[in-house]
Amino acid sequence: MSTQTLAEKLISKTHMGINIASVTIGVGILTFPRALAKATGAFDGWISVIVSGLCACVIGWLLAKLAARFPRQSFFEYTSIIASKPISYILTFLVCIYTMLFVSFEIRAIGNIAKQYLFYNTPVEMITLSFLLIVQYAVVGTRVSMLRLNLLFLPVVLVVLFIVLLFTTQLLEIENIRPYFSSDWRSLLEGSKEVGLSYSGFEIILFYTMLMKKPQEGAMAVTLGLSIPILLYMTIYMFVIGVFSAEVATNLTYPTIELAKEVEIPGGFFERVESIFFTIWIMTIFNTCAMWLDITVLNLSSMFHKVHKTIWVLILSPMIYFVAMLPQNLVDFFTFADGVTYFGMIVVYLCPILLLLIAVIRGVKGHE
Amino acid sequence: MMRRFLSQRRKKKTSSLIAERLQQRNDPAPTLSTSLQQNMETFKTVLGSPHDLLIRSFYIGNTNHSCAVIAIDGLANCDMLDMQVLGHIQLMISTASKVVPTEPDEIIRMLYEEVLSVVEISKSTDFTKTLESILSGDTALIVDGASEIIVIDSKGWKTRSIEEPVSEGLVRGPRDGFTESIRDNTVHIRRRIKDPNLRFEGSIVGRRSRTDVIIAYIDNIADPELLNEVRRRISTIDVDEVEESGFIEQWIEDDFLSPFPQIHNTERPDKVSGALFQGRIAVLVDGTPMVLILPVTIGLLLHSPEDYYERWIVGSLARLLRYLAAFLAVYSPAFYIALVTFHPGLIPSDLAFSIAATRDGVPFPAFVEAIMMVTTMELLQEAGIRLPKPIGQTIGIVGGLVIGDAAVSAGIVSPVMVIVVALTAIASFAIPSYHLAIAFRMIRFFAMFMAGIFGIYGVVLSFITIMIHLSNLTSIGYPYLAPLAPQMPRDWKDMILRAPVTFLKTRPDALHPKDENRMQTGGS
Repeated sequence: MSTQTLAEKLISKTHMGINIASVTIGVGILTFPRALAKATGAFDGWISVIVSGLCACVIGWLLAKLAARFPRQSFFEYTSIIASKPISYILTFLVCIYTMLFVSFEIRAIGNIAKQYLFYNTPVEMITLSFLLIVQYAVVGTRVSMLRLNLLFLPVVLVVLFIVLLFTTQLLEIENIRPYFSSDWRSLLEGSKEVGLSYSGFEIILFYTMLMKKPQEGAMAVTLGLSIPILLYMTIYMFVIGVFSAEVATNLTYPTIELAKEVEIPGGFFERVESIFFTIWIMTIFNTCAMWLDITVLNLSSMFHKVHKTIWVLILSPMIYFVAMLPQNLVDFFTFADGVTYFGMIVVYLCPILLLLIAVIRGVKGHE
Repeated sequence: MMRRFLSQRRKKKTSSLIAERLQQRNDPAPTLSTSLQQNMETFKTVLGSPHDLLIRSFYIGNTNHSCAVIAIDGLANCDMLDMQVLGHIQLMISTASKVVPTEPDEIIRMLYEEVLSVVEISKSTDFTKTLESILSGDTALIVDGASEIIVIDSKGWKTRSIEEPVSEGLVRGPRDGFTESIRDNTVHIRRRIKDPNLRFEGSIVGRRSRTDVIIAYIDNIADPELLNEVRRRISTIDVDEVEESGFIEQWIEDDFLSPFPQIHNTERPDKVSGALFQGRIAVLVDGTPMVLILPVTIGLLLHSPEDYYERWIVGSLARLLRYLAAFLAVYSPAFYIALVTFHPGLIPSDLAFSIAATRDGVPFPAFVEAIMMVTTMELLQEAGIRLPKPIGQTIGIVGGLVIGDAAVSAGIVSPVMVIVVALTAIASFAIPSYHLAIAFRMIRFFAMFMAGIFGIYGVVLSFITIMIHLSNLTSIGYPYLAPLAPQMPRDWKDMILRAPVTFLKTRPDALHPKDENRMQTGGS
């Protein structure tokens, strides 16, 4: 039916980089300055951003190497080659739970933030449900066209962010960012851990390398993809501290959105830029969600070949929605988020690195 | 899954039709005989001796070999038949005192080779093929006793003269448009492309209408895979009649559930030749001036040939304006609903107050108000198409008065709503292709519903939904959002902006052209 060549259905290095940037830039970027300011208490948090960014790059590099050893093979397949079938089943299943929980977290975050900045009467349940339906629609379509949406939305989001930052430059106060280099290394490390949570996402390289034209370029793609969030996080942190000072930032739930709130567009064409900003931001959160749900489906179908993609989406969605509705308040919600990320650290960082180690020691390799 | 189900159903239907046709073959088909009388009878009975059937029997020269011409009155050019066929056979043979052979087959050979001064001429022994030629305007010449029939090309019916395309006017650019005659249309294209590699591949579609369909392409530019796919899809068409190229379009398009057109149609020959040079394929259908261009991308549908004829700054700005128009055409009523109903805080306070003041006394919520006005506008647009020109102005007056003034003074809608609707209408008229504008009109309602439920959040959700759909959509297998997603940076210079012609060195990457280069070097 289709005359699209195989090469066009695969994705290039740049595209993979943009996927990684899109999946990383999600809800985390809206909240991380708070945690970071709390941990470091000063402008020095930018060092933490870079430190944990570099850590993410190293881990991402290792994951990419693991995936590139087994070109055109799914996570489940290469795990079973390295570590036997039963372990592979367990691990892939855990990964599915992690990615599924991640989707729950993101859609709930959408609900919470929209409730706070856009709606006063609409219930969170409806906001979340409508968003989940759209994510479903994206995942039911072809995989490569879902990934192409990243190419469309990421530039829009970055441009809007750039405009917001441009208009906040006049609000920067040098007093707020002083003193420099006052934090000790312990608090910087603490800060790195906090930012580290916002970098999660680059592990998609484990699952999507099989779609790449040249799987060996995966490591390059991770570096490329992570450099965008590292730069972005650093700039945003500097701006947040510069505009609000560290003490104020500690008490803001969504410091990045608050930053947009301070913007006044000359000419008075819009007011309340933060609503517009968040509205646009929905696009990138959508990308993150769609990719996580797609990975869940991808892993489940690599274990059970016979079940159709649409059926998986229909089975998963009620579960995701149910989990998303569990946290009762913001405190619950952020505890849930941290729990998911720690769980993910074990499942998608530690285990795959161990797998890589075993693969290197045993000398297992895939075949083209 | 839906799609798979439907395609299965379609497959089943096609195979049953083929079976039916095979069954029909069992009936003894009429054949040609050597007797003139019998042949004339066969033609008469098969055609049911209609009023427009021309049968003229006469003798060759001054011999007593009888023969006859059969044609359809009006389709065949009678002047030409009088001069070149009857005139030559009856007069020239005797004046040039040629020796008429006695064998009927020899007579056929002599007529074919020496007497008839017609360029397009052929011999036939097959009844069905001859009948088909007659029905498309040819003339059959039957000689008594001969085993073959001479088929003379005498097509010559009245056609509309070449006029400026009504639906696609330009300020700068050629004024000629396609007509209903497929031969004239190929001439239009051939006159613009003197490349020997220009190909016209003919086929016949329609079980009863037997319509000529021509696939036009440039052989060493168009992607062979694309060409094969188009040929394959056209060969699957199995319908009774093809009245317009729309029938072909709807048979071969990728997704019939999509509101977006996946095949472009145009009346402008310059647009078609431009598309052929880019590596696209055109499909011409007899009986309609609308020529199909495929595959398309959303960019092509928003471009106008004028973008290339005007200087690049003008072209680029016009394109930017059109992208803006596309956005406004879809989203301005939705934004109005979202802002007025859900987020008055987003509007600057002075404006918010004045909008609120004008809405004072309007009994409906903004959503109902907008739906009412937009539907009225759709009605006006639809009514305006049908009305004959002299009455057409009435619609403008009635529409303008009723919608603009009376509705506001009656307190049914607010003046701001009128501005929004007017803006939407103007924006949708700025979109160069009518079928894309219709798609936008449909989506507008979707966006309005989403805005009515979820405010500005719903607007973004509707935008994401449309983008998901467009990203999944293909035109003959080629991605619809081509240079943007998948990314093809080489094509960007002819997408939202139109780079100076000297920069457009390559053909669109998205179409996989065989010959990528348009020019050897850039201009100096």
